[in-house]
Amino acid sequence: MHGRVKIKSTAQQEEEKRKEREKKLKVYVAVRDACFSKRKEGIWDDEALQLTQQLLSSNPDFATLWNYRREILMHLETVKDEDEVQKIYVAELSFLESCLKINPKSYGSWYHREWVSLRLPRPDWARELSLCDRCLSLDDRNFHCWDYRRMVVKMSAVPVDQELQFTDRLIGSNFSNYSSWHYRSTLLPLLHPVSPEPSSPCRKPPPTSSPPSPQTHSHRVCEEQLLKEYELVQNAFFTDPNDQSAWFYYRWLLGRAEREEMISCVYVSRDEERVAVAFSRPVNALSVGLLLVLDGQPQRVEWRSVHPRFKHSPVWICDFAPGTISDISNEHNLTVHWTEKPTRRDCALYTGRTESYCRDSATDQELFRSELSVEKTSVLQSELHSCNQLQELEPLNKWCLLTIILLMRALDPLGYEKETLDHFQTLRDVDTMRSEYYSDLCSKFMIENTIMKMEYAEVRVFSISDKKLTTLCHLDQLLLVTHINLSSNQLQRLPLEFAMLQCLEVLEAENNSLENLEGLYHLPKLEEVSLKNNKISTLADLQPLASCPKLKCLDLRGNPVTQIANLESELSELLPSVTDLLL
Amino acid sequence: MMYSRGSLVDLLIKSNVSRYAEFKNVSRILTYRHDNVEQVPCSRADVFASRQLSVVEKRKLMRFLTSCVEDTEEQQAYNGRPYLEFLRDQQLGDNLQHFLVHSIAMVTEDTPTEAGLASTRHFLRCLGRYGNTPFLFPVYGLGEIPQCFCRMCAVFGGIYCLRHSVHCVIVDQESNRCKAVIDIRGQRISCSHFVVEDGYVAAERKKVATPTRFISRAVLITDGSVLPTDSEQQVSMVTLPPIAAGSPSVKMVELCPSTMTCPPGTYLVHLTCQSTGSAYQDLSPLVTRMFHTPESHDQGKRPSVLWCLYFNMVDGSAVDCHNLPSNVHVCSGPDGELGHEHAITQAESIFRKILPQEEFCPPAPNPEDIIYDADTAEGDVLSRQTEE
Repeated sequence: MHGRVKIKSTAQQEEEKRKEREKKLKVYVAVRDACFSKRKEGIWDDEALQLTQQLLSSNPDFATLWNYRREILMHLETVKDEDEVQKIYVAELSFLESCLKINPKSYGSWYHREWVSLRLPRPDWARELSLCDRCLSLDDRNFHCWDYRRMVVKMSAVPVDQELQFTDRLIGSNFSNYSSWHYRSTLLPLLHPVSPEPSSPCRKPPPTSSPPSPQTHSHRVCEEQLLKEYELVQNAFFTDPNDQSAWFYYRWLLGRAEREEMISCVYVSRDEERVAVAFSRPVNALSVGLLLVLDGQPQRVEWRSVHPRFKHSPVWICDFAPGTISDISNEHNLTVHWTEKPTRRDCALYTGRTESYCRDSATDQELFRSELSVEKTSVLQSELHSCNQLQELEPLNKWCLLTIILLMRALDPLGYEKETLDHFQTLRDVDTMRSEYYSDLCSKFMIENTIMKMEYAEVRVFSISDKKLTTLCHLDQLLLVTHINLSSNQLQRLPLEFAMLQCLEVLEAENNSLENLEGLYHLPKLEEVSLKNNKISTLADLQPLASCPKLKCLDLRGNPVTQIANLESELSELLPSVTDLLL
Repeated sequence: MMYSRGSLVDLLIKSNVSRYAEFKNVSRILTYRHDNVEQVPCSRADVFASRQLSVVEKRKLMRFLTSCVEDTEEQQAYNGRPYLEFLRDQQLGDNLQHFLVHSIAMVTEDTPTEAGLASTRHFLRCLGRYGNTPFLFPVYGLGEIPQCFCRMCAVFGGIYCLRHSVHCVIVDQESNRCKAVIDIRGQRISCSHFVVEDGYVAAERKKVATPTRFISRAVLITDGSVLPTDSEQQVSMVTLPPIAAGSPSVKMVELCPSTMTCPPGTYLVHLTCQSTGSAYQDLSPLVTRMFHTPESHDQGKRPSVLWCLYFNMVDGSAVDCHNLPSNVHVCSGPDGELGHEHAITQAESIFRKILPQEEFCPPAPNPEDIIYDADTAEGDVLSRQTEE
């Protein structure tokens, strides 16, 4: 053929394609109907296998057909011998491979593969593992494959160190991969657990005996390995500081230890004949087996959280039967047992005292410093140094700034307070989309610092004015506070958790943007409230105050609510205990 | 060696000629300094995994590589001044400067900044298209590429007469056109155009740059890689900066057996540079240092050279022909460049002269779209070019 090549025109091609498609559709629909009717009749034969295969090989996402196929296969299992079943399932696996080529993210295909693999009389897990590796080399973020691979690894008991090498490989080829980093975080604690004796070097598989004590952290990794991980992840974030996955892994590496569960404070008040108990985490006191013993006698009391909306809360209260501890000349010994843990805390109420408490303070527990784990200071210091280096090169990188803040907090929260505030300001500027998040986080850290300062000073006065607070938190730590000063911040509400301030007598909250006072709920000792220059606009906003029996002074100057006619008389009706009202 | 975003790759894709070829990624870029072969980190994954760079260098390199893609006033201020100076002022440090000048831009230290930046950008544009380096290598060797084009041509009717090399041409004095060629067997083949390699053109009709530019080349077969790794199947591009002042910078390609160019257990190595002396003078000092040869003094752990060949050839890009019949078109031989830009441009311009109305290397139709109809044979435009 020496002629010039003749090529079909586009119209011709289109027409042919259209016809081709039509033909295909006709066949597809016919086969589909055949499959459905066979299934309806309960026919489980080879022809049905073939028909479903024909459809699934062009459309592997047809879930009903996979179901039908499973029904057929389960039937065949009952009528064929093991060798034949093996053969059928092996063929099924190779068919599935062709389906995965059509759609590597087909839910149906991956699910079916798992189903087949688990039913295969003699599975070849090594082959499955290499299939996963091939899939992941084509798309290292195919989560279907990751899921399937997890099953394969579990079934074939691949050694942990081999899996760690696998993550090395994936991270090496592309470190923007949450799956790999996360997988690493699950493998490392298995491979290099923190040894119970702090000085001993890394040991391989975890000792089977002696479960780690609550103070050691079972999901932590020994320090020697941690240092290697720091190096690895630093390589990643120095290479690309805008990639989040490495930063998140870094956060995990530096991550906090699980808090020990304990009763952190018991407070007893003679006046109210009430006990308040604070826990290290929110609990449901009704279900954790809480037992109150007074002078050796178990008490039948009703525990309640500080607000009916809290099913779980770090603070729980209960009242004694009237007259139980009211006589000031009596001494009482209280014990709160957390029978489920088990742990307990004692508290003695001496003669002549109206209240008493016993607690571990936040500073005792290094509560806020251990936001990052209890690494050696030198390690954290060198991490901070690296991050500062990076920050010099990339002064506006938010991940770096945030990590620096966290490291500073782990090292010396009060000493680095000024730098922390500066970095937060930069963060708000460079990442305006998340400026509220940074403001809230900054508020949290400022509150932590203030709690520490208060505890060092051994006072029950919490004063945090003019710190741009946007939110309140750690209120369970303020159970014993009698005076709180929140003035000149940017608070919009006193949240329900505020009701945990069971000892509060004086609240100063001038110059905020408060419009919601729902947290001023049944505060038994609250006497004085200053809400000058806020945004309280309706009488209903003041309703919660009615639940505070001892409220005497209330300053509402500079609030829109003062514009309401008859306010004074309305208020005297709503808050009859108030004698000193400023409007 | 092909740039993965070079005009050759584009042409292979556009014309569907690529269906006849297979390629391997060049898997790593190496360089040689302080008597050591080092891997050049050029992709993100390389930078991450590199053990030679400190984390701060990593950041600086990544930042430079991402920022240099854009034209800035700062860069323009360095126009005409050496690229090395520009890099030095970027506070990159010796390591990174070396990598950037010799292995990424693949220029010399006195190359002007604008040229250095241009080739750095070209390198970066090519990166990641097919792999972690900017280069592709055709399996079975570069000789495959012309074969693939010939094959496509043959499929659509081109005729090849093997062992009929051209003995002389018949030129019509009046029109100054080539009418026919006579092959070495005396057969006369009429032609309307005659495309020929410059080696056939008599010296007096060639205008060669003076002094003649030559390329020095060496081909070695060795028993190991210059930088062994776990994987034996590495295809390496090695950039070798001048070993002494005045000596040329050398480009070396090391091919593993899976490129189908050498038997298992061996490596095929090509070294190329602009000649300053004979190929042996230019390249053997380097070979002696990097490999174990009979001339090597010590017995260090280096791969041994099993076979070697040194030769010089004229730099094809420096040849120009004149006084030729108007329908005789000359293709120049290989040049010292890495890509094939010159060959592609030349092929296209010759094609334009012969067939100004036709598209150059149009996409070949799919086999099912071709109408086979023997009666409509007409025209023989595509089919009558015999090529050497």
